Amino acid sequence: MATEDKKTKKKFSRRKFLQRGAIIFGGTVVAVIASKGPIRRFLAQKAENMDFPLLVSTQEPSFWFEVLPDNTILYKSTKLEMGQGIFTGLAMLAAEELEVALEQIKVVHANTANGVEDSLGTGGSNTTLSLFKPIREVAATLREMLKAQAAKQWGVPVAGIKVENGIMTSGNHKATYYEISTSTKEWKTPETPELKPSSAFKYVGKDVKRIDLKPKVTGKPIFGIDQTFPDMLYAVMLQSPYIGGKLKKLNTQEAAKVNGVVKIVEDGELVAVVAKNRYAAELGLQKIEAEWDVPKKWQQAEFEALTTVGLGTDVRIQSEGSPESLLEEAPNQVFKQEYRTPLATHAHMEPHGAVAHVEKDKATMYVGTQASTLFRSAIAKAIEAETEQLNIETTYAGGSFGRRIDSKHSEKVARIAKIVGKPVHIFNTRTQEFQNAIYRPQTHHVLAAKIGENGTIEAITHSQATPDQVLGAIPANIGYTLLGADFVSAGHGASILYNIEHKSATLWQNKLPVHTGIWRSVGMFPNTFAIESFINELAHKTGKDPLKMRLELLAGNEQINQRYKKVLETLAEKSGWNQPKAAGIGRGIAIGNDRKSIAAAVIEVAIVDNQIQVKKVTQVLDAGLAINPEGIRMQVEGATMMGITAALYEGLSIKDGQITATNFHEYPMAKLSDTPEIEVIILEGHTEPYGVGEPPLAPVAPAIAAAVFDLTGKNLRTLPLKLS
Amino acid sequence: MEINFNINGKTAKVDVDPAMPLLWVVRDELNLKATKFGCGAALCGACTLHIDGEAYRSCSIPVSFAAGKKVTTLEGLSESEDKLHPIQQAWMEENVPQCGYCQPGFMMAAANLLEKNPNPTEEDIKNNITNICRCGTQPRIIKAIKRAAQLSQTVTA
Repeated sequence: MATEDKKTKKKFSRRKFLQRGAIIFGGTVVAVIASKGPIRRFLAQKAENMDFPLLVSTQEPSFWFEVLPDNTILYKSTKLEMGQGIFTGLAMLAAEELEVALEQIKVVHANTANGVEDSLGTGGSNTTLSLFKPIREVAATLREMLKAQAAKQWGVPVAGIKVENGIMTSGNHKATYYEISTSTKEWKTPETPELKPSSAFKYVGKDVKRIDLKPKVTGKPIFGIDQTFPDMLYAVMLQSPYIGGKLKKLNTQEAAKVNGVVKIVEDGELVAVVAKNRYAAELGLQKIEAEWDVPKKWQQAEFEALTTVGLGTDVRIQSEGSPESLLEEAPNQVFKQEYRTPLATHAHMEPHGAVAHVEKDKATMYVGTQASTLFRSAIAKAIEAETEQLNIETTYAGGSFGRRIDSKHSEKVARIAKIVGKPVHIFNTRTQEFQNAIYRPQTHHVLAAKIGENGTIEAITHSQATPDQVLGAIPANIGYTLLGADFVSAGHGASILYNIEHKSATLWQNKLPVHTGIWRSVGMFPNTFAIESFINELAHKTGKDPLKMRLELLAGNEQINQRYKKVLETLAEKSGWNQPKAAGIGRGIAIGNDRKSIAAAVIEVAIVDNQIQVKKVTQVLDAGLAINPEGIRMQVEGATMMGITAALYEGLSIKDGQITATNFHEYPMAKLSDTPEIEVIILEGHTEPYGVGEPPLAPVAPAIAAAVFDLTGKNLRTLPLKLS
Repeated sequence: MEINFNINGKTAKVDVDPAMPLLWVVRDELNLKATKFGCGAALCGACTLHIDGEAYRSCSIPVSFAAGKKVTTLEGLSESEDKLHPIQQAWMEENVPQCGYCQPGFMMAAANLLEKNPNPTEEDIKNNITNICRCGTQPRIIKAIKRAAQLSQTVTA
C-alpha cells in the first residue's frame, strides 16, 4: 500500500496548492477551480439511479480557461469531442456567463499535463448535463474576478462595470479581458456568483452550428491518426485472429527482410513490425509466421448459448408485488416470448490507435480517448513511468461510441514506443478492429406476462442474460464481488417502466471468452428491443392499439407521467399514427426512458426484394432543456441511422474460433441508400438538460420490428431482423 | 522507385515502393492528412480522392498508377479556405459532420458525382455514393449534395 499512500499525498498536496494559490495566473493563463457541490450532488443522484457509480473517482475536476491576446477565451475540455457536438454546447454555456460572443470562445482538448483530472471521462450522455451548471459557475467566477481587478485598477465600484464581448467599461474606463488578465498576478477567488436566469440566455435554446465545422469540412489534421513527430516510425501489431489465442510459435525472419522494416518488437505476447512507413509495416505483418495456441475453437451456437437466461449469476434488479407467483398460478393466462441481440462492435471509422513518444524522462501520447485521466495512469504503469512523466494529448476522435474508454491498446502502443525509443504511429487494420475489439455483449431475454380476463396486464417479468460491460474493467473481480452483475451498464434499461402492479427484472450474468464493453446506450439498446417488442406483442394479443396501450400504462400524476403523455401524444400527431397508411407500408412504435430523457419513435417500413426498408422515422425527444436544438437534431438523426444499422444489418458471428467479419463487406452498415425520411421533434419546457447522445438509439430497432409485424404478420425477435 | 505526379496543382516527386497504396503516399510522404484510412480494402470510401478527374479509393490504388497524372485531395478541392468548393460550402450550410472522419471521402465522392451529373436526383445520390458513415450523417449528406448542386448552378450562371 506504500504507493497508495504516496499517491494520496501527492494528490492532496497538489489540491492544496491549487486552493492556496487560488488561481494560477501565469501571465495570460487564467484557471479557476470549479465549485464541487453541484458535481457531487449530480454524482450522488446518478449513483442513486445506478447509472455509473463505478466510473466515478472521488477527485473533483478542475476547469480551466485561458484568456488569449486576441481577447478570445480558450476552454480546455477534459471531455472528448467524438462527434457528439459537446464542444459547441459547452462553448455556448461558457459564453453565457463570460459575456462574450460565441465566436470568442475556442475549445480544445485539455492535455493531462495541464493538471486537469477527470476520472469520469466522457460517456453516458452526461457531458452537457453534468457540466451545465459547473461550467457556467466557473465562467461567471472568472468574469467576476476580471471585473474585480478592473474595479480595483480604476478605483470604481464593481457593480458599475459593464461587460460586452469581453470588453469591460465603466465611465471613461475601458479594457479587454486580456488586458486585465495580464495586469496582475494577485488574484482572489470570489464566492460563486449567482448565475443569470434562463430568461436572459443569449445562446442557450438557439440553433447553433458546430464550432468544429470548418476544420472538419476542410480536412484539418485533427485526429489521432493524423498526428506526427519528427523521425516517426510506423508499426502494426500482431494480434490473435482467434478468440483466446495465445502465441505459441513465431518466425519473424521474412518480416524483418521486408524493405522499410526497421525492427520487429518481441516482448512476450507483444509483437509488432516497426517500419519507415505504414505500407512496409503491413507487408511485414503479412510475412510473420505465427502459430496460436487456441484453448477452444468456438462455434456460433455454443458461443451464443453462453448467454442464456438461467446460466451464471442472477441478480434481481426490480421487484414489485409478486409477479412470479401470479404467473405460476395461472399458466393458461401467461404469454411468454424470447428475444436475442447479437455480439457486435463499434466500427467507428477511425481505427483504434495512438501515436506515442516515450523518452528517458518523459512520454507523450496523442490519442482520441474518452478517459484521458484513466489512460494516463494505466499507460504510465505499463511503461513503468511516473504518472506525471506522461502527457496525454487528447485528439478529436473519428467516432467512438464507447470503444475509446479502454486503455489496453494504448498501453501496448506505449510499450512498443518505449522499446523502439523513437516516436511510433500504431493503428489497427480494419480486420484487427473486428477481430480484436471490445464487443457489444450478446443478450438473451425472456419476458412473460399474465393477461387478466379483461385484457389487462396483471404481471410481467423480464430476465436478461448478458455479459458485463464495465465490471471486467475493474481490477481483481471487485466489481463482480460487490455488485454480482453489471446492472449499471449491461442491465441498464432492464427494469419495466410501465405501471404494472406486479413486475420484476432479473439479470443473468455469465462471462464470455471475449472482452465485452460499453456500446452507445449500453444495456438500453438490447433491453428496449426486448421489452418494447414484447409490449407490442402484448398489445396485439390483447387487441389494443400499441400507442394507446402505452399511454394507459404510463399514465399517472407524477411529472414523468406528464412527460410520457406529451411525448406519446406529440408522436401520434406528428407521425400521423391515427391516419391511414399508404399501401405496402407497415408502422411500428417504441419508447424508452434513458438518462432522464424520453425518446419515442414511430417508424414506417416497406419490403423491397424481400429486404426490410425503413421509409420514414418520426422521433420525439424530451431531453429536458434543449441547449442547442440543432445539435440535438443531429444526434437524433445519427442515433436513428445507427439504430437502423443495428436493427437490419449489424452482428458478429463466430466460426472455428474466429470472429468471421474481417472487413465492412462482412459487417454491412447503413448507407445513403438506407436513409429514410427523418423527422425530429424536440420537446422543451424544462430548466435543466438531460442526456441526448444515447436515448434516441434504443427505440429504433423495436419500432422497426413492430412495423415489420404490422406489414407481414411476422414477429422477428432476433437482431439483426431478417425476413427469412 | 522515383514517381512523379501532380498533387493539388503542384509537382510531387516521391521515392517509394511503386506498389505502396496512394493513400499512404499522400498522407505520410506528402503530409496531406485529409484523405483518411478506414478499411484498406476500398469498402468504406474514407480515402476517396480524384485522379485525372475520376474518384478513386486510394487505399487500394498503387502509387505507380498516379505516375504522370493529376491527383486532387480535399486540400486541393477549393481555391482557398475563404473560397470553398460548393460541396464544402454546402457541407457548412447543412452542418453535416459529426465526428468528421469519413467526411473528406464523402465530399470527394460527391464532388465527383456533381462533375458528372450536375443535378442529381435523390436516387442518383443514393445509388452512386456508397461510402460509410457510422455517426449517421447520411440524411445531411444527401441534403448537402442537393444544395451543392444548386450552389454550383448559381456560380456557373
